[in-house]
Amino acid sequence: MCQSLKNILRLTIKELRAIRVDRVMVVLILYVFTVSTWMVSDAAKTDIENLSVAVVDEDHSQLSARLADAIQPPLFTPPAQLTATEAAVAQSRGDQVLVLSIPPKFEESLRRGDPATLMILIDATAVAQAGNGASFLRQVLVQTVSDYLSPGAAQVAMINVVQRNLYNENLTGAWFTAVMQLMNSVTILTLILSGSSMIREREHGTIEHVLVMPVHPHEIVVSKVLATGLVILVASVLSLELVIRLGMGVPVDGSLALYATGAAVYIAAVASIGLLLASFTQNMGQFGLLVIPVIIVIILLSGGMTPLESMPDWLQIAMRTISPAPHFVSFAQSVLYRGAGPGLVLGELAAMAVMAGVALTVVLRRFRKVLAG
Amino acid sequence: MLYVAETQGISHRYGRVTALDDVSLQIPAGCMAGLIGPDGVGKTTLLALIAGVRRLQGGALQVLDRDIALAAERRAIAPRIAYMPQGLGRNLYPTLSVRENLDFFGRLFGQKADERAARIEMLLHATGLDPFPDRPAGKLSGGMKQKLSLCSALIHDPDLLILDEPTTGVDPLSRRQFWELIDAIRQHLPGMSVLVATAYMEEADRFDWLAAMDAGRVIATGSPADLRARTGAETLEAAFVRLLPGGQDAAPVILPPRNGTPDAVPAIEARNLTKRFKDFTAVDDVSFVIPEGEIFGFLGSNGCGKSTTMKMLTGLLDPTEGETRLFGERLGAADMQSRMRIGYMSQGFSLYGELTVRQNLMLHAQLYTLAPAARAPRVAEVMAEFDLTDVADQMPESLPLGIRQRLQLAVAIIHEPRILILDEPTSGVDPLARDDFWRKLIVLSRERGVTIFITTHFMNEAERCDRISLMHAGRVLEVGAPAEIVTRLGTATLEDAFIACLEREIGGEGKASAAIALPAPVAPPGPLRQAVTRAGAYAWRETLELMRDPIRLFFALVGPVILLLTMGYGISFDVDRLSFAVNDQDQSAESRALIDEFASIRQFAQGPDFADQTELAARMGRGALTVALEIPDRFGHDLRRGDRPEVSLWIDGAMPFRAETARGYALGVVESFGRRTLREAGIAQNQQLTVETRFLFNQAFLSANAMVPSIIMLILMLIPAIMSAVSVVREKETGTIANFRSTPVGRAEFLLGKQLPYVVIAWISFWVLLALGHWLFAVPFTGSLLALAAISALYVVAATGFGQLMSSFTQTQVSAVFATAIITIIPTINFSGLIVPVSSLAPAGRLVGQAFPGAWYQPASVGSFVKGFGWAELWPNALALALFCLAYLVFSVLALRKQEA
Repeated sequence: MCQSLKNILRLTIKELRAIRVDRVMVVLILYVFTVSTWMVSDAAKTDIENLSVAVVDEDHSQLSARLADAIQPPLFTPPAQLTATEAAVAQSRGDQVLVLSIPPKFEESLRRGDPATLMILIDATAVAQAGNGASFLRQVLVQTVSDYLSPGAAQVAMINVVQRNLYNENLTGAWFTAVMQLMNSVTILTLILSGSSMIREREHGTIEHVLVMPVHPHEIVVSKVLATGLVILVASVLSLELVIRLGMGVPVDGSLALYATGAAVYIAAVASIGLLLASFTQNMGQFGLLVIPVIIVIILLSGGMTPLESMPDWLQIAMRTISPAPHFVSFAQSVLYRGAGPGLVLGELAAMAVMAGVALTVVLRRFRKVLAG
Repeated sequence: MLYVAETQGISHRYGRVTALDDVSLQIPAGCMAGLIGPDGVGKTTLLALIAGVRRLQGGALQVLDRDIALAAERRAIAPRIAYMPQGLGRNLYPTLSVRENLDFFGRLFGQKADERAARIEMLLHATGLDPFPDRPAGKLSGGMKQKLSLCSALIHDPDLLILDEPTTGVDPLSRRQFWELIDAIRQHLPGMSVLVATAYMEEADRFDWLAAMDAGRVIATGSPADLRARTGAETLEAAFVRLLPGGQDAAPVILPPRNGTPDAVPAIEARNLTKRFKDFTAVDDVSFVIPEGEIFGFLGSNGCGKSTTMKMLTGLLDPTEGETRLFGERLGAADMQSRMRIGYMSQGFSLYGELTVRQNLMLHAQLYTLAPAARAPRVAEVMAEFDLTDVADQMPESLPLGIRQRLQLAVAIIHEPRILILDEPTSGVDPLARDDFWRKLIVLSRERGVTIFITTHFMNEAERCDRISLMHAGRVLEVGAPAEIVTRLGTATLEDAFIACLEREIGGEGKASAAIALPAPVAPPGPLRQAVTRAGAYAWRETLELMRDPIRLFFALVGPVILLLTMGYGISFDVDRLSFAVNDQDQSAESRALIDEFASIRQFAQGPDFADQTELAARMGRGALTVALEIPDRFGHDLRRGDRPEVSLWIDGAMPFRAETARGYALGVVESFGRRTLREAGIAQNQQLTVETRFLFNQAFLSANAMVPSIIMLILMLIPAIMSAVSVVREKETGTIANFRSTPVGRAEFLLGKQLPYVVIAWISFWVLLALGHWLFAVPFTGSLLALAAISALYVVAATGFGQLMSSFTQTQVSAVFATAIITIIPTINFSGLIVPVSSLAPAGRLVGQAFPGAWYQPASVGSFVKGFGWAELWPNALALALFCLAYLVFSVLALRKQEA
């Protein structure tokens, strides 16, 4: 037992040395946890920004001009004035996402107290932005009309809604994408690092060499998980502290120690899956082909991109059974954003630990078989 | 023509390593000329330069009287040269059958079908391969692979045949048959010159002319007899050793007699070892007994079961039947104790390249549980013993082969094992270093009583063993002292004895037939027709290979489906069934009406009520609640009186997009409830404005309708690009790219031929994705199917073309896969309208997007599905995509090198 631990320690040190010498990998890790985390969080947000709007003004009144002026950056691009036909073409080509149509005699009707209707035409193929964009535009329009017709008037609504967004008051998109991007980076690098450490040994024949020594297969496998896990864990915690919290100014409230614990379990589970994939392939080329779809599936269906509850039930169940990622996303959101304590996330931790265990068991079972082939 | 190749002052370097140093040679024509020397002296580089597959760096080189530095001259003589690169069957395609391989080479030389068939028939017959034309090349024995390689080199009657170590790793019988075959062919083609590189000196003895090389220089030229006479040596090997610097005073290796105790427990005992892999028996009933302190040589060709037997002796593999005993104890797979007694040195270099010499030794000392205090002294001791002290802190990869072999041996004995198992420890090492290595082995055996089990291809090494065994096809044919075996079989040398033994075993199988009748040369087809045949050859072969590679085929066909399913379900902007809970402190008709209003739309799914703030915090903290509504006491009362009651709304902001959408819906519900209450109460509103929204192209505002067509854009870029990038880089990695370099196939022919199968597969994928999108995700299709199908064809041509462009920058399959994935995914996801509409992008982002085909295909795909687009709207996109196809092809052709650096 003691000997086993010593061997694991020595092999882990060997693995760490191997990672240090692999310059490409070191550069990749640094890049992914700094530049890429920053850039993607900034780019992949779904916040409404510069949404293109055109105005078809058939009223040509003071009010209609006021409405067009009210459509402003940063939410919207300064609107283009088009005719109805032009607007239809532009919207069909995808040049304009929203088209505001102001009917003739719009101001006149309102002044008379007659009903009048503004129409917002939405290119509904821009699903990520059109819906929220249209509801923002609608708020702007209602406010502008009300200010224009009865300046200084009290609020018109019947019910006063006191609304609070918990954990992220202004709904800043980057807060969310930064942490989710961190999880994506962890997933990608852990899978590649652990899988390639196994395949490299097979391609170089070193695994055979080690197995002739008084070393058990589980010591080799565990040392690989440990070495990969350690590197990624340290990099990801540093990235969370230095890049996300300090650099990007995202308030991360939860306990860092608890987050690190959960991240460690998640990384162990993903590293084990990486080794499992490696045991099904002969060389790095095949591993590459296999790992890319796996990465995409794990990341997209983790609940980190779009909420898990909008997937069909069977898919939610399937993903929660085979992938540790939904558990980690739920864990990370609870701990980092909502400041949850250990009690609330115990279930997720246990689920990830079981997955790591199952994957490692299968890897060990396949170990000798793979060597013989 | 007096000389087949003339070199003047050729030098060649790989980075800082000099491979050839000012080599000037005149290689005579019309004979068998040989380059001799160990690995790494520059033989392969010189042959590659002569064959025209490597670019000349310095000096002048004439081959067949043409200046090979000029591309036009090179093209002119390419069909007259045949080049067989180093490595067993390295230019063959392992999944293709014998006949398919030959057919492919025939097509590369533009031969017509009937001419090819006739030539293949003749060559198969001549080489004795005719009984198995349908066996995959990968399943042939080493000797047969080399014969097949030779056939493919001979398919076009070359004037110059270049063979790079054609018999390395082949058993002596196949080796002899190979040379007999060459002789027979030369009789029928007397004008043909043959240029061979070899490390086997016995073999070189039969050549007409030799150039001995060492460290990038030619140290002697002349006939074998000349060289022997000049050095006064008996054998060519001895002559070569004497030609080496410092080789004049090399002493022979002497094996002192062994004094063993006859009835001691044997060190190694194999009892009826058998190993089967599925239906294939790798090792068949092998038994032998090796007494302690003996040097036991284990001989056999590649793939005869030697390595498998050794793995069973070391405990790496469990035998299917039989057992191994070490010092009388049975060896089990997980037996840690017996492993302490074994030192193992595997074939090729198998230490950690990322650790220094000292770290490697130290790691092994630790893993073999040497006492901590003893480790450093022991490491220092073996480093001194094996002359490694000077290189202690260097990386093994940077050391010459001979020193690496010493390091491996040092590692294998660091724990002072009683048994050493060595798998081809000296292959590729120069003769001086080999002798040195053997002296170390003899000291271990004779002075320390270590039992040594060694495999080798060299007969002079086999003669140094106490006893040897001959193995073939999983069975041991002979065991005994070398002299005893020679006497028993009544032959002159050990090599002859081995051959006699093999012949007895396999009879006449694989024997070359002397009847070689080369067909009369047929008038070659026109140049265009040849070009089409050559491009077709690559397309045909690529298709066959792909069909036989389950992982790539899976990736190409099933990959797109998996990705569409996961992305279609995974990237959804539908916000449905958000968990919603209330705390109704009012319990009035009005409050219940408001709650009903919330529960009535599909975006909210009502859960159990919450009692207080603590419960709210806990539920939202777990992520179990997204929207919470609190209706205070007197809500109904205030509302009836028009006193503007207040309600509180909490939204989980952890996921901003969802929160934003949830807020929009919640405020909408409250607002419409308020209006209706007013209307019902008959209170006049002070203004009559309504803002109506209308969703175009996707009335239900379903995520799938927009996302699925965009995801198809992403998938049809990603997968075809990776597939085609891998297809070219694979050839670089396996070495078959040599066929492209050494045959007359053009760059565009090569690229287009290899691209075609992937275009077809990707286009089939398009139809599958279209069907899934329409029927599974229920996306309406309103545009012109014909137009979309045509544009998709252009798009997948562009995608595969992009992959080929990527392949020219990458060297390994892994880097091809990841580089292509990263470079395609980033612009396609971020700047092609998948999430953010292109019209909302900053100008820089828009330009980046439009520099990739995705941004041009996405509007076509979305437009054809939901906007009713036809040719009228789509022709500009089609034109842009066609330009991409052309540009990628041109750049790929420019980037692809017909010669290696």
